[in-house]
Amino acid sequence: MTTATPRTLAEELRTRSDRGLAGLLRARPDLLNPVPGDLTQLATRAGTRASVVRAVERLDTFALQTAEALAIAPDPCPYPTLAALMAGDAGNAAVAAALPRAVAALRAQALVWGPDDRLRLVRTARELLTPSPARPSPTGLGPTVAEATAGMSPGRIQEILAAAGLPATHDPVSAVAALTGLFCDRVRMAALLDTAPAEAVAVLDKLLWGPPYGAVTDRPAAHLQWLLDRGLLLPAGARNVVLPREAALHLRAGRAHHTPEPVPPALDPATARDPKLVDNAAASQAFTALATVEELLKEWDLGGPPVLRAGGLSVRDLKRTAVALDTTEPLAAFWLELAYAAGLIASDGEADERYAATPAAEDWLQLPDHQRWAALVAAWLPATRTPGVVGTADAKGRALAALGPHLDRSPAPEVRHRVLTLLATLPPGTSVPERALLSRLRWERPLRAATPATQPPAASPPPQGPAQAAPPSTAADSAAGPAPTDDLRSRLAQWTLVEAELLGVTGRGALATHGRTLLRTTGDTGPSAETDTGPRAETDADASTIAGALTPLTPAEATATAVRAAALLAPLLPEPVDHVLLQADLTAVAPGPLRRPLAEALAVLADIESKGGATVYRFTPASVRRALDAGRSAAELQEFLTTHSRTPVPQPLAYLIDDVARKHGQLRVGAASAYVRCDDDALLSEILADRRAAALRLRRLAPTVLAAQTAPEQLLDGLRAMGYAPAAESAAGDVLVARADSYRTPPRTAPTPVPDGPPPPDRTLLEAAVRAIRAGDLAATAERKPAAAPADTAPPTPGALPRTTSAETLATMQAAVLTSSPVWIGYVNADGAASQRVIAPVRVEGGYVTAYDHTSDEVRTYPLHRITGVSELADDAV
Amino acid sequence: MNGPLIVQSDKTLLLEVDHELADACRRAIAPFAELERAPEHIHTYRLTPLGLWNARAAGHDAEQVVDALVQYSRYPVPHALLVDVAETMSRYGRLTLTKHPAHGLVLSSTDRPVLEEILRSKKVQPLVGARIDPDSVVVHPSERGQIKQTLLKLGWPAEDLAGYVDGEAHPIELDESGWALRPYQAQAVEGFWHGGSGVVVLPCGAGKTLVGAGAMAQAKATTLILVTNTVSARQWKHELVKRTSLTEDEIGEYSGTKKEIRPVTIATYQVLTTKRKGVYPHLELFDSRDWGLIVYDEVHLLPAPVFKFTADLQARRRLGLTATLVREDGRESDVFSLIGPKRFDAPWKEIEAQGYIAPADCVEVRVDLTDSERLAYATAEAEEKYRFCATTDSKQRVTEALVRRHAGEQTLVIGQYIDQLDELGEHLDAPVIKGETSNAQREKLFDAFREGEISVLVVSKVANFSIDLPEATVAIQVSGTFGSRQEEAQRLGRVLRPKADGHEARFYSVVARDTIDQDFAAHRQRFLAEQGYAYRIMDAHELLTTGGDDLTAGEDDPAPA
Repeated sequence: MTTATPRTLAEELRTRSDRGLAGLLRARPDLLNPVPGDLTQLATRAGTRASVVRAVERLDTFALQTAEALAIAPDPCPYPTLAALMAGDAGNAAVAAALPRAVAALRAQALVWGPDDRLRLVRTARELLTPSPARPSPTGLGPTVAEATAGMSPGRIQEILAAAGLPATHDPVSAVAALTGLFCDRVRMAALLDTAPAEAVAVLDKLLWGPPYGAVTDRPAAHLQWLLDRGLLLPAGARNVVLPREAALHLRAGRAHHTPEPVPPALDPATARDPKLVDNAAASQAFTALATVEELLKEWDLGGPPVLRAGGLSVRDLKRTAVALDTTEPLAAFWLELAYAAGLIASDGEADERYAATPAAEDWLQLPDHQRWAALVAAWLPATRTPGVVGTADAKGRALAALGPHLDRSPAPEVRHRVLTLLATLPPGTSVPERALLSRLRWERPLRAATPATQPPAASPPPQGPAQAAPPSTAADSAAGPAPTDDLRSRLAQWTLVEAELLGVTGRGALATHGRTLLRTTGDTGPSAETDTGPRAETDADASTIAGALTPLTPAEATATAVRAAALLAPLLPEPVDHVLLQADLTAVAPGPLRRPLAEALAVLADIESKGGATVYRFTPASVRRALDAGRSAAELQEFLTTHSRTPVPQPLAYLIDDVARKHGQLRVGAASAYVRCDDDALLSEILADRRAAALRLRRLAPTVLAAQTAPEQLLDGLRAMGYAPAAESAAGDVLVARADSYRTPPRTAPTPVPDGPPPPDRTLLEAAVRAIRAGDLAATAERKPAAAPADTAPPTPGALPRTTSAETLATMQAAVLTSSPVWIGYVNADGAASQRVIAPVRVEGGYVTAYDHTSDEVRTYPLHRITGVSELADDAV
Repeated sequence: MNGPLIVQSDKTLLLEVDHELADACRRAIAPFAELERAPEHIHTYRLTPLGLWNARAAGHDAEQVVDALVQYSRYPVPHALLVDVAETMSRYGRLTLTKHPAHGLVLSSTDRPVLEEILRSKKVQPLVGARIDPDSVVVHPSERGQIKQTLLKLGWPAEDLAGYVDGEAHPIELDESGWALRPYQAQAVEGFWHGGSGVVVLPCGAGKTLVGAGAMAQAKATTLILVTNTVSARQWKHELVKRTSLTEDEIGEYSGTKKEIRPVTIATYQVLTTKRKGVYPHLELFDSRDWGLIVYDEVHLLPAPVFKFTADLQARRRLGLTATLVREDGRESDVFSLIGPKRFDAPWKEIEAQGYIAPADCVEVRVDLTDSERLAYATAEAEEKYRFCATTDSKQRVTEALVRRHAGEQTLVIGQYIDQLDELGEHLDAPVIKGETSNAQREKLFDAFREGEISVLVVSKVANFSIDLPEATVAIQVSGTFGSRQEEAQRLGRVLRPKADGHEARFYSVVARDTIDQDFAAHRQRFLAEQGYAYRIMDAHELLTTGGDDLTAGEDDPAPA
C-alpha cells in the first residue's frame, strides 16, 4: 500500500480496504458478473458505459447533482471548487453539511476517485453527465469558453477580446485563457455586465438556467450583437448561440444547480393514529383478503375461464370475476395476480386451455388463517408481475391482460420494499400522504423516475448538428417544475400503497406492527433498514447503506419474514365462531367468521345475503332444496341447525325445511331403453316372475308398465323367445309393423384407381423446376467460394468479404478503437445484402460498434453479429 | 372491541339486540341508518345516501356518524365505507335554497364547480333564472319543489333554508283532559316541528292522528289534511273534535259528497286527483286559503299527481304520516325531496314493548287444495291463477271454521274479491262492507261493530286504511292485492290497537298450499317478519283438529312433515 497519490482508479481501488471493496460490489453487483480477475479488470469494468449508467441511475438526487457538478468542473477538481459549485458564492449550510457524504457515496461506488484535492469523476460518468448540445445537462450549463471557441478564427477571438476590454494576445490559446479569466473574475465581470444594455441582460436571464442555447437571425438585434461581440454569447452552429459556462456560472453566483437538494423531502404531514387501531384495521383487511382469495378459488372451483390464445384472461372474464368478487376490475386483477403469484391458480395446460385452482390451493385452504396470509404476502413481496398495468396497452400497443404475458416490471419488488421501508421509518400508527412518499422516492432515484422504464438509456447516435435549438423563451424551470407522478416508479409506489392496504400490511395508510416485520431486520444480510431514517443516515460513509435498504427481499427471505409477520398477525385475526343466530325472517346471522366446515355446510343450505365481519344467510325453498339435492335429509338439516344455532330454530324455518322435503323427490326421473305395457297386470307379473326375463333387466314402474334396460328389438326378441307375442309401439303409441328392410350405406363415391408412378409432368412445371434448380445451384456455388478460401493466414481475396470468427472480430475491433485505426469489414445488412465497408471504430459496447464509416462518410453503428469478418488495412489504404 | 354492531361491506349494519350496549348503539345509529329488518335477535340497518342526508338535515355531521360506527363496531369498520360516508354526507348542503331580499328564491353554493355541474344539466336549466353572481342563481319560486327533486336525483341534494310562510293563524290547542300525548308522540311532534317539514313513521295503531293534532297545535294555523278516503276523513274529524279545542264548525270535509272549506279542511286524495276534461278541477283547494300546515296521511300511498301539486307547496310546512316508508312504486326519494326527510321513527316492537300497541300472534294457515281444485288451478289461465287459488272452496271452509272457533271475539274477515266476501258473508251471516256500500251504511256498521252488536264483519280492501276498530281482536285475511307488503302492514294494524283486557291479538292468513297464493303470502309476510312479527305456519287440518289451547302454545308445536 503506498501513500502516493493514485494515478488511476485501479490504483486507488488497490488502496481501499476489503470492506470498501465489498461495499462497492454490493452497491454495483453487476461488477461481479463474472467475478473480475484483478483490480485492474474491476476498475475497467467499473468504467464501462453500461455499468456506469446503471450506477448513475441509482444515485439519489443530491449525489447526482454532485456528480453533475463534478462533470462541469475542471478535472481533477479540488473539493473547495466542488463545494463552491454546489453551494454558490453565498454558501449554503445544508449543502455544505451534506456534500461530504455525497462525495463519499460517489467514491464508494467508484464513480469518483482521487484525494480530496484532486477529485476525479470516472471518465465514462463524465461523458454521460457533461452537457452537450444533444444532451443538455440538468445543470443547464453550456460548454466552456474554450470548447465553444474551438474552431473560431483567431482574428474573431482577438476582436472579442478587444470588445471585452482586454489587451490583445499573441495566440488564440492565451486569448481564450484571458477571456475565461475575465468571465471567472466576479469583480471584472460585474463591471463588464454593468455596461450591458437592459435587453441584453434580459436575454442572459432567459438563458441563465438553461437550456443555454438560443437562435439568432443573420442580423442580430443590437443587444444580441453586444453580447456576441463580448463573447457572452458564442456561436454554436449556423444560427444558434450559446451562453458559455463561465459566464452562466458568474450570473448564477457560482451555483451549478438552480436548487440543490441536499436533504431528502420530509415525510409529512404525518397523521398519527392509535397503533392498535391501525393493527386492527390491517388485520380485518388481511382477513378480507383471505376471504376474497378464497371466494375466487370457490368461484373457479369447477373450472375457471378459458385462457386467451395470446395468454391471459379476457376482459369479459375479468369483468365477470370482478362482479363475483364484488369489486372493481383493477382490484379483481390484483386478486387474480396475487393468487397466481402464490401458485393458487394457473392454466391447466390442456388443449382447450382454462384457468383453474392448483393442487396447492387445496393445501392452502386447509392452512390456518395466518399461514394463508403469510403465503399470500410472501408471494406478493418479491413479485415482479404488476396487476396495475392490466387493461393498459404496452409500448407495442398490445392490450395487457390479467394473468397474461408482459406484466413483469422488474423494479416492482424494489419499489415495494422501499415504500414499506419508508413507512417503517415513521413512528407506529403514523401515515403520510401519498405525495410525500412519492416525492421522497423521486428524490432517491431521480433518473429512474425520469426515464420511462421501457426505454433503456442507450448510447444515442451522435447528433446531426446542434440539437433542437430551444427558443430562449422556454427558460429553465425544469428544476422547479411540478414533478410528474405517472412514471413507472411512482405508479409502482401508488400500487404498492393500495395493495399493502388490501393485503392488510398497512391499516388506514400506516404500516401495521406485523407489516414492520416484513422488512429485513438487523440480523439479516443487509444493514438495518428500520433504523435507516434517511438514505445516508449513517455517518460511516458506506454507500451500501442505500443499496442495502433498497435491495428487495429474495423470495426465500420474503417467506421467512412473512411467517414472522403472520405470527404477529395471528392473534389479531377474528376468532372463527361456531354458531349462528337463526331468525324468524328466515335469515341466519353468523356474528363473525365461521369455522370452515360449518361455513361450507351453511353455504349449501342458505344463500349468502351480506358479507363482511359477519355473514347473513337467507333460507329460501331453493336453497333448502339444494341442500336436499346434496344428499342431506330434512332431519339432518334440522339437527344441523339445532346444533349450531345459539337461538331456537324458528318455527317458520323448521316448517320451510319440512315443506320442501315433503315435495323433494316426488317426481322421479330415470333412464330406460324400452318399456313393456300391458293392460293385464297378471301378465306382467308373470313375465317378471319368469327367470328367462332376468337378462332383459325389467323393472315394474306401475301395475301396467315395465321398464327395460335393453333395446326395444332385443326386448321384442326376448319376449318372443319366451313365447309371448309382443308388438312394437311408436313414440305416438301406434303399433309398428316390423318388416325386413334392405340395408344401404350412406352415399359413397367409387374408389379411384391408384397408378404406378406419378403422372408425367407438364411443361409449366418442368420449366419452373429447372429455374429453381439453376437458382439453387448458383446460390450454392456463390456461397462456397469465400468459404473455400484459406481462413487464417492468407490475405483476403480482393472483392471477397473478410471472414473471421466473432471473437477475432471483437478483439480486432477493440484494438482498432484503442489505436483508432481504420479496419475493413464485411457486413450483412438486415435484408441479407452483403457489403464491404472501411470503418474507423470509435466505441465497442453492448454488441454494437460505433464507427466512422469511410465508405459512406458518416458515423454509424453496426451490430457485431452482422459483421462477417474484419481485417486490418494496409497503412496506405485510407 | 366487543361492540354490538357489525358493519358489513355492503353498507348494512347488524345490531345484536341482546347485547348490553344495543340500546345505546341503536340511539347512536338511528339518526343516519334506516332500520331495514327488526327480527328477534339481530336488527339490520342500512346506510343509504337518503339516510345520511336525513342525518345531515337533522344537523348530524360525518364525524358523528363515523364515531358512532367506530365506537360500537365489533370488527374494524372498512375504511372505504367510512370514506364513502364522509363523501356522501359532504354532498348535502353544498347547495342551499335561500330567500334573498332582492332576488327572491336563490340557489347558492359554497362549491362553485358543483354549481357549474348542476347548471349544465338539462333538467336543471329550465328551473333556474339569471345568475346573480358566480356562486348563486335565481330559482323561480314555483319550481322550488321541482328543483329539489331534480337535484336529489343528480346526487346533490339542496338544503332548503328558504323558510316557510306562517299561513293564516288559527287558534288550535290540544285538549289533554283525561289523556296525554304519549312520550313518543310528543317526540315525533317535536322532531317534526324542529325540522320544519318531514315524515313521521309510526306503526299502525300507534296514534298517528294525535301526532297530526299535536303538530297542528304547534302551528296554530289553518291546516289542510289529506287522507285516503272519506271514512278516514270522518275519523280524523271525530278525533280532532275530541282531542283538540277545534269544534265541528271549524273542520270542513272536502270529498266527493261535500265541498266545505274551513280553517281546518280534510280532503281525500281521490277528490284531488279527479280529472275532468284533462284538468284537475279541485286543485284550487290548495290556493283557497293561506294554509299554514299541510298534513299528508298515509304518505306511502300518496298518488303521483299529489306529488306534483306538493312540489308547488314548498313554502308551507308539510307533515307526512305513515307506517312505512316502503313504497311499492319505489318513489321514496320523492317523499324525501318533496315532503321532507324522515323526522321520527320507532320500530313496532319497541312501541309494543311500551304497551301502546297490542302484541299479535300471526299465523299462516296452509290449506291443502282438493285434487280437483289442484287440477283446475294447474289448468287455469295465468292471469286467473291467483284469483282461483285465493278463492277456493277449501279456503272458504277453513276460514269459516276459524271464525267459528273464535266465536264471541270481535272478528274481521278481510279479502280482495267481492264474490268471495259475499259468499263468506252469507255463510257466516255477517254484514259485508265493500266499495258500493254507502258511507252512511259503513259508519253504521262500524259503530255496531264497536258497540259489540255485531261480532263478525267481512270487509273488502276499502277498509284497508284508517278505519278505527278498537275492539277487533281477530283478523282473518283470505286474499290480498297480490304481494303488497304495505297492505299486509295495514291489515295487521287493524288488530294491533291495545285491547281493553290486554288480550293478545290474532292475525290469520289463510293460504292455499303450493300455489302462487303461498308465494305472494311469503312476500307479504317478509315485511312483517322483518318488523319482528314472525308468522307461525300451521297446516289447516291440524289447526282444525287440535283444540284452541294448543293453538296458543303453537310456538312449540313440531311442524308437521
